[in-house]
Amino acid sequence: MDANLNDRNLVNNMTSEPCAAWEPFLVLFAAGDELDPAEYASVSAHLAQCSTCAAALDREEQLISLVAAEHAEPDAALLAGCRAGLQDALDRGEERGWLSRLLGELFPASWLTPRPAWSAAVLLLIGFSVGVLGPRFLRHPQSPSLAPNSDTSASNASSTDAPSGTSSAGASAVNISDSSAASSPLPALDWRSADVAGINLVDSGGSGDPSVELQMRSQRPVTVKGAVDDDNVKRLLLGVLGGGERFCPDVRLSAVDCLRARKNDPDVRAALCHAVRTDRNPAVRLKALEALDGAEPQGIVRQTLLDALVDDSNPGVRVEAMNSLRDMTDRGQLGSDDHTLSVLRERMHKDPNAYIRLQSAEVIRDLGPREKF
Amino acid sequence: MGISVALDGDARQAAAARLAEEQGLVRKAQAGDRLAFEELVRRYDRDVLRLALNLVHRPEDARDIYQEGFLRAYRNLHRFRFECSFYTWLYRIVTNVALDHLRRRTTRREEQAPALPEQDGGVPPDFFDRQPELSARANPEKQLLGQELGRHIEEAMKRLSPRERMVFELKHHQGLRLRAIGDLLGTSEDTVKNSLFRATRKLRASLGSVR
Repeated sequence: MDANLNDRNLVNNMTSEPCAAWEPFLVLFAAGDELDPAEYASVSAHLAQCSTCAAALDREEQLISLVAAEHAEPDAALLAGCRAGLQDALDRGEERGWLSRLLGELFPASWLTPRPAWSAAVLLLIGFSVGVLGPRFLRHPQSPSLAPNSDTSASNASSTDAPSGTSSAGASAVNISDSSAASSPLPALDWRSADVAGINLVDSGGSGDPSVELQMRSQRPVTVKGAVDDDNVKRLLLGVLGGGERFCPDVRLSAVDCLRARKNDPDVRAALCHAVRTDRNPAVRLKALEALDGAEPQGIVRQTLLDALVDDSNPGVRVEAMNSLRDMTDRGQLGSDDHTLSVLRERMHKDPNAYIRLQSAEVIRDLGPREKF
Repeated sequence: MGISVALDGDARQAAAARLAEEQGLVRKAQAGDRLAFEELVRRYDRDVLRLALNLVHRPEDARDIYQEGFLRAYRNLHRFRFECSFYTWLYRIVTNVALDHLRRRTTRREEQAPALPEQDGGVPPDFFDRQPELSARANPEKQLLGQELGRHIEEAMKRLSPRERMVFELKHHQGLRLRAIGDLLGTSEDTVKNSLFRATRKLRASLGSVR
């Protein structure tokens, strides 16, 4: 019967066929517009003379109209609900992160799905890259440059320094202290894993500057003790301060405390200015600001204070920067250059903090000459 | 005859203008213009929803087909190459989604249970209850007969395969030619004819006692 349907020439030669053979054509006749003109004419001629097929066609049309009576038309509420749902879905789609879209473009599913080996290779490569390169990016860029001397110094240190008695993982501790520290290079430290157990300022009993005791936790614990002026001590303190999040805020605060005594040293001043601008902990930024008070040359310090006044997210730090600028003005150290005045004028008008607005106006007034603002 | 030719010419021009406008909308949508895509949606979404509703008979399922169909169209819009009309391309997507849905339902027969709550008499309301058939409401006997008939028809439609159901719907309710249905479903006109014929025979067998 299916074959009959597919044979268009058959209908022209089947005028004498039994009625069952016409059945497929009656279906198409009832469907409308599906027979070619010749077929249509043949079926019409047969229907005119065959009451059985005419009745069959009638039943066919009844069936179609019966089923058509059940046909549903979507109501407006359903259509509106569908439109709203689609809008939401499109919005959600557009909110997808750019990364997933980029990955979708770079590695489309249609490309990866039929290539499981390539897919696995790509995933391995991504995992390897993240595992190897990730920690390097996360590590603070300053740490390696602040690492103590080369490997050769380690042998010197380990051969000459006496064990301190404390040990970790079976390795003997290294103790570098006092006068030896000034000349002895530090043993090699693994700065990726090294941590600072503590920094203590030790009072020398009124005989001179206090000394610093710095305990490093590493595969081979190191204790460095010496005056703040000592190069090894300074290098370690700068490493701690520049290490940012690698060291806890308490240790960074202690490092600032120790370095305060050498605030005019260019390296120390640069490290303090860097901490004011970049340290994530507001207490460290605040302490670094205090430590810079009175440091020379004033130009660099002033710029750091102005930057903190404008950019810092912490109101306390900004107020401290304002106070430091105020102190510099009182000491006659703040010049009335255009840049300083411009920043202060802007603060005077726009700063959300009333104290800073007021102090900015005071400083401008004190910087004189008086002008309209 | 001259008037007829002139009218035909006008109709052709209008159709060409409509096609050009639609192609412009598609190009804008392909360039990322959401508003253009939404305009295209509004042109065809009533037809899409009608098709879905009459295939699955449950508004929530029809809504799923509607959304999935248009989302697929949106995601794959860049692949549309103007080799057919946007309407054909969209319907091809929607019929595929609907067929997938029907096939899933066929494998999970329990989903085919009536979705609407039963009435007091324990008889589940059928399609006619959801229609604004005022004359039937005014006549309880007619309403009862209508409910009975609707249930029979729905049961008969469920006995069709997804493809047969789709072909019957596209032919008799959407008014598409068999060749166009073949294009949509990615098959030949003869295969569509056979599906239509099988669907008709099954319905005739199921509903023979009703008529």
